[in-house]
Amino acid sequence: MKYSNKYIKLGIVLALCISSSCKKLEPEVYSRVQNVNFWQTPDQIAAGIAPAYSQLRNIPDGNFHDLQEQPSDELVVPARGNDWLAAGQHIQLFTHTWNAQTQQVQDTWTDLYSGVTKINFILSIVNNLQPAPPTLPAINAELKTLRALYYYWLMDLYGNVPLVTDFNTNPNAVKNSTRKEVYDFVEKEIKDNMALLSTDKSLNTYGRLNKYSAFCILAKLYLNSNQYVGTTKYPETIAACDSVINAGYSLEGNYFDNFAQENQNSKENIFVVPFDNINIGGNNWAAQSLHYQNDKNYQIAGGGWNGYCTNAEFYSHFDTTSTYSVRGKNTYRTYNDERAGQFIIGQQYAEVATYPPNANVLSSSTDATLKIKDALTGLDLAFNPDFTDISSPAASFRLAGLRSVKYWPNPGVQTSQSNDMVIFRLADVLLMRAEAALRNGSASNTDLGYVNQIRLRAYSGVQKYAWAMSDLTLNNLLYERGRELAWENWRRQDVIRFGTFANARAPQKLLDADKHWEIFPIPVNQHTANPNLVQNPGYPSF
Amino acid sequence: MNIRKYLKSACLLVVFLVRSFFAFSQDGAITGTVTDDRGAPLPGVTVTAVGGTGVTATGINGKYSINAGAAKTLRFSFIGFAPKEIALTGQRTVNVTLLESAQSLNAVVVVGYGTARKKDLTGAVANVTAKDFSPGVINNPMQQIQGKVAGLAITQPGGDPNANLIVRLRGQTSLSGGQTPLIVVDGIPLDNPNQLSNISASDIASYDVLKDVSATAIYGSRGANGVIIINTKKGAAGRTKVEYNGYVGIDKLRGDFNLLSADEWRAAVKDVPKIDPETIAALDKGANTDWLKAITRTGFSHSNNLAVSGGTETFTYRASLNYMNQQGIVINTGKEQIGLRFNAENKSFDDKLTIQTGLSYNQSNRKLADYNIFEYVNATPPTFPVKNPDGTYFGYSDYHEQNPVAQQMLQTNTSTDYLTQLFAKADYKLFDFVTIGTQGSISHLNTQSGFFQPVLPGVGNKNSANQINGNVDSKKADVHLNFLKDFGKHHLSGTLVYEYNDFVNNNFSAAGQEYLVEDLTNNNLGAGNSAKNAIASYKEMFLIESYLARAVYNYNSTYYLTASVRRDGSNKFGANNRWGTFPSVSAAWRIKNESFLKDVSWLDELKINAGYGIVGNQDAITPYSTLLTLGSGGRFYTPGNPSNLYPDSYTPNQNANPDLKWERRVGKNIGFNFGMFNNRLSGSINAFDDKTKDLLFTYTVPVPPYVYSSILANVGDLRNKGLEVQLSGDVVRGSSFSWSTSGQITFTKTTITSLSGKFNGTEISTDKVPIGVAQGRGYQNNYLTYLTVGQSPYVFYLPKFAGLSPTLDPSTNSNQLYYDADGNKVADITKAKYNYIDPSPKFNYGISNTFNYKQLSLNFFLRGVYGQKLFNNYDNIVSNYTRLPGNNVTKNALTNGIRGSQTASDYWLQNASYLKLDNVTFSYTFNKVKGLESLRLYVTGTNLLTFTPYKGMDPEVVNGDSAQAYIDANMYGYGYYPKSKTFILGASVAFK
Repeated sequence: MKYSNKYIKLGIVLALCISSSCKKLEPEVYSRVQNVNFWQTPDQIAAGIAPAYSQLRNIPDGNFHDLQEQPSDELVVPARGNDWLAAGQHIQLFTHTWNAQTQQVQDTWTDLYSGVTKINFILSIVNNLQPAPPTLPAINAELKTLRALYYYWLMDLYGNVPLVTDFNTNPNAVKNSTRKEVYDFVEKEIKDNMALLSTDKSLNTYGRLNKYSAFCILAKLYLNSNQYVGTTKYPETIAACDSVINAGYSLEGNYFDNFAQENQNSKENIFVVPFDNINIGGNNWAAQSLHYQNDKNYQIAGGGWNGYCTNAEFYSHFDTTSTYSVRGKNTYRTYNDERAGQFIIGQQYAEVATYPPNANVLSSSTDATLKIKDALTGLDLAFNPDFTDISSPAASFRLAGLRSVKYWPNPGVQTSQSNDMVIFRLADVLLMRAEAALRNGSASNTDLGYVNQIRLRAYSGVQKYAWAMSDLTLNNLLYERGRELAWENWRRQDVIRFGTFANARAPQKLLDADKHWEIFPIPVNQHTANPNLVQNPGYPSF
Repeated sequence: MNIRKYLKSACLLVVFLVRSFFAFSQDGAITGTVTDDRGAPLPGVTVTAVGGTGVTATGINGKYSINAGAAKTLRFSFIGFAPKEIALTGQRTVNVTLLESAQSLNAVVVVGYGTARKKDLTGAVANVTAKDFSPGVINNPMQQIQGKVAGLAITQPGGDPNANLIVRLRGQTSLSGGQTPLIVVDGIPLDNPNQLSNISASDIASYDVLKDVSATAIYGSRGANGVIIINTKKGAAGRTKVEYNGYVGIDKLRGDFNLLSADEWRAAVKDVPKIDPETIAALDKGANTDWLKAITRTGFSHSNNLAVSGGTETFTYRASLNYMNQQGIVINTGKEQIGLRFNAENKSFDDKLTIQTGLSYNQSNRKLADYNIFEYVNATPPTFPVKNPDGTYFGYSDYHEQNPVAQQMLQTNTSTDYLTQLFAKADYKLFDFVTIGTQGSISHLNTQSGFFQPVLPGVGNKNSANQINGNVDSKKADVHLNFLKDFGKHHLSGTLVYEYNDFVNNNFSAAGQEYLVEDLTNNNLGAGNSAKNAIASYKEMFLIESYLARAVYNYNSTYYLTASVRRDGSNKFGANNRWGTFPSVSAAWRIKNESFLKDVSWLDELKINAGYGIVGNQDAITPYSTLLTLGSGGRFYTPGNPSNLYPDSYTPNQNANPDLKWERRVGKNIGFNFGMFNNRLSGSINAFDDKTKDLLFTYTVPVPPYVYSSILANVGDLRNKGLEVQLSGDVVRGSSFSWSTSGQITFTKTTITSLSGKFNGTEISTDKVPIGVAQGRGYQNNYLTYLTVGQSPYVFYLPKFAGLSPTLDPSTNSNQLYYDADGNKVADITKAKYNYIDPSPKFNYGISNTFNYKQLSLNFFLRGVYGQKLFNNYDNIVSNYTRLPGNNVTKNALTNGIRGSQTASDYWLQNASYLKLDNVTFSYTFNKVKGLESLRLYVTGTNLLTFTPYKGMDPEVVNGDSAQAYIDANMYGYGYYPKSKTFILGASVAFK
């Protein structure tokens, strides 16, 4: 009985120990936010919606840029020895030999669809908030329009993509929709939500879609309608363009002010993706293109990466006549057509280049010490547009191609430029209006006037550069679009629309055998994750 | 001086004992000393005069005196040692060295929450003690037992003193997480197995490796990957012992990339197509640089461990101090470690109350390698100089190409670990058969890393700096009850434990850029461009609560039965799936104890054991995976709100899975242990068959409908079968010469048996999950390895190489050809037929041989892996002629004919079986050195030879730790610190 007493004591001790430390094992969350505790204030709702747009940061300068530009005639990334060979992916894109594994083909899909699915998530949350936020209808309209833009691009690039609009969709039910179904969805979403979109063009809606951005999407959808679904919609294109043109946007005085480091006050830009050196990274425009030693004139700390360039054929459509001025040992040129200044050509000199890039470009010097040299090879750093190879180990090939300073590099910055990147701007809409009218057979002096607004802005108002009605031809428009919108992510669909996409072109691109290259293949990793997906016509089936 | 005081009293004690001993010695008696093979005196050895009547035991100093009478032979026997008989031929002094027996059955093995004698084990538990440790330059104590334990695979990914080992027990048991066994040091489970690198190898007494699931089930949710229990040395009652262990060593580069020398480069570039003399002239700076040599050196290292131990019948203690300094073979890398360890045990109230306490503190200062430099070494032409004539670094910059020496020498890249572990345990014997106790431990790891990148010559970068301060904290407490009772021949013991574990991790970092004065490095972070200052912090926690019970029964030390059950709750899982129950049962039959074997004198031990158990896995996943949480979605621009222009946005940071539950491993093991011919031959054979169910894995899911392309879910099962054989034998047991050998071989086969499961109520099923990616520019998303039902994990899925074409194919920009489904050669890789190829090793093995001749001892240790394949991603990139002249290539590139872009085919999948001469040690034990109790000197060489058909630098690469298993890349963040061979001169000294 002595023992049993002890057993009881022991039992009590154990029971106390156990019960006192027994918790429900609820995790405490410290540095993350639980979704159920969020979405409480207007600021939180704004911060919860913002990521719908942040996916766009991958658009202007990343994989999407590669897909929309490299298969066209205005941007090529040649393999400079081993540099930029990158398993041949850039060569594949330029020469139309890509496949379902090509990195940009795989990654652009995820970039765009993450935008779609984030919006699906946000819509599933904000529409179930109690009480509903007073701005809910406007939030829904804006997000659905943005989702339509992502789908527009997916339809444009991949054609037959799955339409998923509900966050809680069963993954086993996700299958390809036809390009027509996606096209119809984009059109309907934009039309349905148009009335609730903001007409505010001020900084309050900066970097967000307003009503006019929505018309821009419609204009793009309709202008390329024949390529997408086989029916032309030129009157509808004209109407959509007119809605933008009449909204009060105006061309900036200098072409480059639309792309400058501080371009948020542009009256011409309709929809941009904001970037900032410190807060919003992702704009690496200058580094992608400029040479390692261009830090000596364009002040890129650490130098560029010596990649993206344009070649002689495309550059030949620019008017490079200039007026020259001599200061000391140096000669400076100012281009008659401002837009020619977006590409830099020839010998580079170790003197800080000045903005805007169309004026006072140091083009020659009798001071040999000013010549920048390629540090690796010791060659004079002189960019040369004439090259016929797409891959070469020659030291001189490191200097092949003209480089873009359209988005003027920020002094001391290598990556993460602060220039906001343009998606839609008035000049594009004006050119689309003229083209649609021309294709519609209804081109008028109004259209010619729109085109000449753009040309005279480029030529500083010198009237002799204005076009006559006879100059308003499709072929001229193709190259006017090239000059005006170079590298702005529209060239692939432009050359498809103008019928030059398949052409043989330098360097080393052969004539396409068929039209299947006009849409990209469904990425192989998406098929692995979702075996329901069927490959696009012309590509090897999964 | 405390130590001196202890020494003095210890000396007095010895003198007293010796005197009293000799007082009893008789005239005509035989006297002598019994020592072990290291010269340490062995007390308590039974000395028997065979054929006479005298029996005595050695004293504390190993001395004995016996009246042999008419006996013709003296027999010396001691538990754990091979007995020895010495013929008496009239000598008055007989000194004897006893060797530890190959398998000491009475050795105590820690089995988790208790101990057992080796002969009483019912599960598969391996035990390695100090005598079998491999010496060498040890930066992680696990290196001491590499290759020694069947089923335990330890891989060193490189020669980096700061890199972590990869430890796998019984193959791949899971698909997620570290998969490293739980490591328990003196009762404290390490929060992260890599913390072991902070512990001094010289303090370790033994490793107990719990292999089968019935043995690890006692660790429940933490035992899924096996358990390794490490015991540090403890003090023993008796005089104070002062010991020193130390070595000095050198590390030398072993292996070569086989890059072109400058002259070979000059000869090769002439033939590059489209090349012009200007290009060659421009790239030939006139130097002859071996860039691998330029970034490496002979590393010097030394390690010193001083320990004091001793105590009385009721109080024992051991304290040790260690200092180690190891220079890495890569310039400006190394590790310096200072550690202190103390443990003590006190018994009071008639030995009813036992209190144990342990504390250790270790500081490891690490100078880290920038792994980008290994890529620069391969990229830079050998014609570039390291330095300019004026002594400054030669600067240049190109894609992934700059001066690696400047990079490694000029930047600051450090990390310091401060690891503090405290442990206390109190046990009270309530009755002679019941003990109740409590145990608590605290582990605190603070890691402070620092980085400073100055403006590098020829690069033109902005300087930048950061500091990161991270803490990994855990607290553990338990209440336990042990009982032990014999009822005649029935022995029953049991354990009940309640345990609570609390884990908190947090970190804080600050960074800046554009510092005016570079000499300050990262010591004044706020002094740069204020707009570029960046701060961040993070904190997470999780809990594990456990109840466990174990009962062990045996009848007459012949029939054994062990059963245990553990119930764990972890808040990493969803509210309905937090608790898991992990039972085990095992049994053993010591056949040797049966009457029919009693008289079989050549058989010393024969035992069969079998076990079954279930363990869980929660280590593989991070907390909060079940919750829909929001993290930063990046900042966004709000020009309408000038006071906060760039607020942070919030977006789901994962595809949350509220249904997450335990991954369970159900294991079966059958084992067979034997000892024969006076234990000259002993061994064990174990076969296991484990099934892991509800695998936790980050599965690829489609976008859409998901936001992210992966989700953590319980999907699929895998099966792990294997056979382990461990043998040891004393080939020669002579009085002056002996030869013992031991070896182990392990066969494992892992197969994915299912890849279907549920997520959010939706059936997920896939036949193929992509895992490992080829490394290289443009290779992103180019998957090489997959999970596929019916194959081992990380099976390769590659096209079959069909030779070379004379021209580059436009679709791939490559001249490599592949076979399509019809056996035709095609150039377009997308039209090729892909095949599964299993890269996993068929078996691995280790063989150790020890030769003793008098005081000399030679040990050599071989280990190997057979049947392994590696994708030689390094060769794939660097053995490519097209890199010339701007980048260097291997010699192989001049002959392999590959042109254009690299592509992934089975051409690069190479046989990577290997056999390594891992360790050779030659030692001499001095018999009598004035002033010293014992002295042993040794010379060791490690990683001396590798026999392999593999064409890469070393066939032993990162294996299984990450998704990149079996992919041997040496760039793009997967660079390997080159391997080294090491020579050390060491000493073990015990002071009088």
